[in-house]
Amino acid sequence: MSIALSRSRALAFSLPALIAILPFLGACFYIFRFSISGDKGTIDGYSIQPYLDLMTPFFGRSVWLTLKLAFVATLVAMLLAVPLAFLLTSLRSPLARRCLTVTILLPLILNLLVQAYGWILLLGPSGVLNSSLRSLGIIDRPIFLLFNETGVLLGLIQTSLPLAVFPIVSSVRGLSQEHLEAASSLGASQWRTFFDVTVPLLRPGLFGAASIVFAFNASAFAIPLLLGGRRVQMMGVAIRDMISPLFNWSGAAAAGMILIFITLIVLLFSSWLVRMTSENVRH
Amino acid sequence: MRVGLLPNEGGGSYRFVIIALAIVGILISSLPVIVVTIMSFSAADNTGFPPEALSLRWYWDVIALFTADDASSAQSVVDSTLTSLLVAVIVMGISTFVCIPLAYALARGDRRIRGGMELLFTLPLVFPLVILGIAFLLIAESLRVDIGIWRIVIPHVALVLPFVLRNCLGAMNGISVEIEEAAVSLGASPLRAIWDVVIPLMKAGILAGLIFALIISFNEFTITFFMYTIDVSTLPIWMYSRTVSSLDPSTLALSVFIIVADVVLIVLVDKLIAGRASLF
Repeated sequence: MSIALSRSRALAFSLPALIAILPFLGACFYIFRFSISGDKGTIDGYSIQPYLDLMTPFFGRSVWLTLKLAFVATLVAMLLAVPLAFLLTSLRSPLARRCLTVTILLPLILNLLVQAYGWILLLGPSGVLNSSLRSLGIIDRPIFLLFNETGVLLGLIQTSLPLAVFPIVSSVRGLSQEHLEAASSLGASQWRTFFDVTVPLLRPGLFGAASIVFAFNASAFAIPLLLGGRRVQMMGVAIRDMISPLFNWSGAAAAGMILIFITLIVLLFSSWLVRMTSENVRH
Repeated sequence: MRVGLLPNEGGGSYRFVIIALAIVGILISSLPVIVVTIMSFSAADNTGFPPEALSLRWYWDVIALFTADDASSAQSVVDSTLTSLLVAVIVMGISTFVCIPLAYALARGDRRIRGGMELLFTLPLVFPLVILGIAFLLIAESLRVDIGIWRIVIPHVALVLPFVLRNCLGAMNGISVEIEEAAVSLGASPLRAIWDVVIPLMKAGILAGLIFALIISFNEFTITFFMYTIDVSTLPIWMYSRTVSSLDPSTLALSVFIIVADVVLIVLVDKLIAGRASLF
């Protein structure tokens, strides 16, 4: 039979897609080459000066802020994603399931500007939250939630939540019913079953989801730009500022390489964790 | 007895905490969109909450914006919407066209190659968009020729490839080799078997991938933010430049149009791949 795919035909079938992704790979290489350029504006010679120039307290603060916000946002997103995944998998009605899917998925796909408008309307000085709290007499003066870390954090949690929920949903679907039944028939309480059976079984999926959410949040740009203004200099925004007012292209490329490096470390660390924990489960 | 992760009755504090957290999650996901929708019906000029009266005036504003032939502005909303749509359609076409044969080759080919290729085509998903924007901008600037709309299309294709491939692969997984073998043993050439048997079976997955590519490209902001020029600009960029100083209610009405379009398309994708594959 001639169904078995010959090597040459497999290559021919893959070629269009490889050509389509080539510009992306080229862009990755270009940014790396620029980050070790001797000149700030063009690729010229080799130097590690762009990296040395980044060793400033300003950039250090930006890295720290990025890590902190991404970490907190990931933690909260995971805390909300697990119950959402449970709810999504236990809904019986197809209509309810579809509504919930759309509600969760929309923030990932919808134009980030529209969502930023939503947060501005919610959190602004005359926004929904402040007017409600004021009419209830809880506060006298508006509390400031926009253009600081709180606003950015909420935006990050909202946009990264779908990236956490859907991988967890597939792990939950793969969960064996017998384990849960065994735990409950042996008299374990719901909490006990959750912490001793469900979470350990889900752990590989949880680490996988958390690492993608973290990488997504650490490299966020539009949300900190729109909700944080100049006050919350996450790395994405700091890198943009190096280009737009300063024209420091090689510096921006070097900062970008550091950002890529951070996300890569997190992804590798989590895949290592997944391998470790899934071995533990098997034994 | 079926032991659910979410008990239907009883369960005490466990059930309460899980439901409460899920509700917080739903609120965080949906509140911004809901507030934008409510405020777009406000009759007032400002965006104070709650709106004192309701009206459709901002919707009429948006329609006027689209129908008025005001040639004075260099980049009108009509131009940027058309560019957005054109880019999205080209991106959709290219990404689907390249992903179908790739999904076939990965599903039928060598297992060892498959893992590596899947990883390669997932990279754009975790790669920082800012860096991608800057890198593509640097490359586009260093080119001697003006590549017009392709300066936005090429990065968008890279961006949607993971989603389209995931959907095509999901569709391929359900198609057994035997069906193809049957077609070939009945005298069809292998290529003909693919075209007449495999592709029709992949239809739902292909359509889901098409729609995914369309919505992602149409809503993309970050990379386009670096790549746009005076001649080539998309709707999200137009919205950004309009609201950079203050939020104006007619933009909210325009946002509602986008929200409705996105919701309809997501429901379509969800219907197409219902229960057979995960969304990504």
